[in-house]
Amino acid sequence: MSEEKKEEKGKYTTVSIPTPLAEKIKKRIEGTGFNSISSYVTYVLRELLASMEEEEQEEVFSKEDEEKIKERLRALGYLD
Amino acid sequence: MEDEYNYIVSGLERSGTSMMMQILYRGGFPVAFDKSRPPNEHNPKGYYELEGGKIINRLMDGTFPMEKYRGKFIKITAYGLKFLPKGKYKIIYMVRNIDEIMDSMEKMSGPIDREVEKPLFEKLNRFAMRLLEKRDDIEYIVVKYNDVIKNPKKEIERVNEFLGGRLDVDSAVQAVDPKLYRNVREK
Repeated sequence: MSEEKKEEKGKYTTVSIPTPLAEKIKKRIEGTGFNSISSYVTYVLRELLASMEEEEQEEVFSKEDEEKIKERLRALGYLD
Repeated sequence: MEDEYNYIVSGLERSGTSMMMQILYRGGFPVAFDKSRPPNEHNPKGYYELEGGKIINRLMDGTFPMEKYRGKFIKITAYGLKFLPKGKYKIIYMVRNIDEIMDSMEKMSGPIDREVEKPLFEKLNRFAMRLLEKRDDIEYIVVKYNDVIKNPKKEIERVNEFLGGRLDVDSAVQAVDPKLYRNVREK
């Protein structure tokens, strides 16, 4: 195997998806810029993960942040 | 037929939650509040709160009797939504320019380090609004404070639609007195 092929091989892995799903994707990407099922699935997964990560980040308050909010709420009379 | 909803006015503190409670009260919707926090210079028309606004503590420790207030509006500010037990809710969520909120908080509670607290309260606001969207036991409407000041009738009609037409809109509109609402940056 050439060095180039070895390097290419290390960058990717195989994920199995059900054949009917693959067929659906194949139809969906017809006439789009996606030239393979893999490129479409990669795109969708990246988008999904990014939005999940963003959501998780948004919603997590550190203890310090939460304490600062509580301090202000106490000063405003909304917490004991 | 018995009303199966708990109704809540929410939003960040100083976002117009008391104004909305007044609107609902004047409009004839059942509203629950006590005299634990009397009107003052920060809220001349009153706070319309229960237990001095400190029901967040009761929600946190699970002792707030939500069932007692079924069919009525109560005020629970944004942070309290985090501790809302499972139920069936209709929520009016107030939003207001964050700098106006900071101005008003500062007047009421002392100096604010805006570099620190402004992003925190913006985050709390996003958190609360996402929670409203995610929970399937909540129906909600977002109302902008400044829109109510600018065009009370239009906004109150929208609220009335959300509540199934139970408000007397003309009376409710009387609760909005723009002279009382200070700290407005957007005109």
